[in-house]
Amino acid sequence: MLSLLGGIFLGWSLGANDASNVFGSAVAARMVKFRTAAILASGFVLLGALLEGQAGIETLKGLTPLNLEQAVVSSVAAAVTVTIMTILSLPVSTSQAVVGAILGIALLNQNINIPGLGKVVACWIGTPVGGMIISIIIYRMLAFFYNRLNKNLFQADNILRLSLIVAGSYGAYALGANNVANVTAVFVGAGELTLFSAVLLGGLSIDLGILTFSRRVMETVGRRLVRLDPFSALVVLLAEAIIVHIYTIIGVPVSTSQAVIGAVLGVGIIKGIRTVEKRTLMNILIGWFLTPAIAAVIALSIYFAINLRYVPMG
Amino acid sequence: MAKLFFKKQRQVEALIYEYLEYLETSRKHFAEAINTCLETGVCDDFDFRIRLTHKFESKADDVREKIKELMYSKALLPESRGDIMGLLEAMDKIPRLFELVLHMIKTQKLIIPDFIASDIKELLEVSFENCELMIKQVKTLFERANGIRSLVSTIDLNESRCDHIERGIITKIFDSDLDPFQKLQLKEMVVNMGEISDQTDRISKRVNIISMKRRV
Repeated sequence: MLSLLGGIFLGWSLGANDASNVFGSAVAARMVKFRTAAILASGFVLLGALLEGQAGIETLKGLTPLNLEQAVVSSVAAAVTVTIMTILSLPVSTSQAVVGAILGIALLNQNINIPGLGKVVACWIGTPVGGMIISIIIYRMLAFFYNRLNKNLFQADNILRLSLIVAGSYGAYALGANNVANVTAVFVGAGELTLFSAVLLGGLSIDLGILTFSRRVMETVGRRLVRLDPFSALVVLLAEAIIVHIYTIIGVPVSTSQAVIGAVLGVGIIKGIRTVEKRTLMNILIGWFLTPAIAAVIALSIYFAINLRYVPMG
Repeated sequence: MAKLFFKKQRQVEALIYEYLEYLETSRKHFAEAINTCLETGVCDDFDFRIRLTHKFESKADDVREKIKELMYSKALLPESRGDIMGLLEAMDKIPRLFELVLHMIKTQKLIIPDFIASDIKELLEVSFENCELMIKQVKTLFERANGIRSLVSTIDLNESRCDHIERGIITKIFDSDLDPFQKLQLKEMVVNMGEISDQTDRISKRVNIISMKRRV
C-alpha cells in the first residue's frame, strides 16, 4: 500500500486541479453549489475511470517495462514535478509529467517504445488543436438550433444552466476515463495492481482531490471561463469533453487544461475576438517540453538517490 | 424535480410581474393626480393622489430589492442577473419621475395655465402609451422572444412625438406674458414630464439588446 502513495497523491492533486476545467465556470458563477458540483464530478470521474480507463493504462504501461521500485519512483517524480511547478506557478500537465517520469526511467532501462511515445506526443499536440476545431464545429451546430428556439429570457437561461451541468458531468466522465491512467498505470506495468483495481484506486484518488481540495481552484480558475458568455462557456466545456473523450478511446492521457485553451481559442476565432493571450499559448509549448524534461530529471535523480550504496574504500 | 431546480427563478419571474403591476398602478395614480391638478388645481384630492403614487413607487422599490436578493442567491445565470437588475434600475426612474413632477407642482405651488393644458394632456397621454408599451415589451421578454423589435419602433416614434410636443409647450410658455420666474418653473416641469417618454425609449432599447444578446 505504501508503494501506491505517490500515485494516490498524484490522483489527489489531479482531482483538486482539473475538476475546475469541468465545473469551474458553473461554480464560480454560483450557478451550481460547490457540493453539488463536487458530488457530480466525483461520481462521473469514477464512472469514466471504471468504464473506459483501461485504454490509457495500456498505452502508458507499454512505454517501457517497469519494476515496482521504478514504478514508485516515476509516480513520486511526477507528483513532485506537478507540486514544484504549481508552487512556481509554471504551466503543468499531469499527463506530461507522468510520461516524462516514465521516460526518465526508460532512458535508464535503455528501452523506450518509440511508436508508443510518438503516438502520445502527437496526441499532446492534437489536444489544443482538436479542442479548437471541435469548438468551432460545435459552436456553429449549437448556434443553428439555439437561435431557432422561440425562447424567452428564463427559458434561455434554463437551457444553458442545464446544459452546463450535463456538459460538466460529461467532462468529468471524460476526465476520469482519460486521466486515471496517469495515476495508476505504472503500478499495472509493475504488476502491483490489476487493471480493475488500478482504475478503481485511480478514480477514487481523483475523487478525493475533488471532494477535499478543488473548491478554491474551481472558484478562481472557473472565473476565466465565466468571462465568456454562457453559450461560449458551454461550447468550450463540450469541446473539451469531446476531445478528451476521443483521446480516451485512442488510449492517450492528455491535458484537460490544454483542451480548454484550444476550445477557447476556437470560440475566439468564431467571434472574431482574441480570447487567448500569446503567453498562454507559449505556456502550452513550455508544457510540452519543460514538464516531461523536469519530470525525467527528477525521476532519474530519485532513482540514483535511493540506489546510492556506501562502498568502503580499500 | 425541474420545479424544485428552478424554484428561485420562478419566484424572480413572479416578483417581476408584481413590480410591473406596481409600476402601472403608480402611473394610474399619477395620471389621476395630474387630471385633478388640471381641473381643480392643488387640492386635498391631489394630495391624496400624491400619497398613492408614492405608496406604489415605494412598493415597487421593495419588490426590486427582493428580486435583487433572490437573484444573488444563485438564481439565474450571472449575465441574466446583470441584465434584469439593469432593467429594473432603469424602470425605477419612471415612478421617480412621477413623484418628482407631482412634488414640483405641490411644493412650488405651480398652476398650469390654460393655454398649455391641452398640450400637457397630450404629452402625458403619449408618454403613458409609451409606459404601457414598455411594460408590454418587458413582459414579452419574459414570455416569448418574438415581437420585441416592433415595439421598439413604436416607442421610438412616440418618443419623437413627445419631444415635438415638449418643444411646442416650452415655446408657448416663453412666448406668453407669464412672470419669467414662473416660465422657468413651468419649463422645468415640462422637461421632467418629457423625460418620462425619453426613459421609456431608453428602456425599450435596452430590452431589445437583452433579447438580441440571447441570439448567438
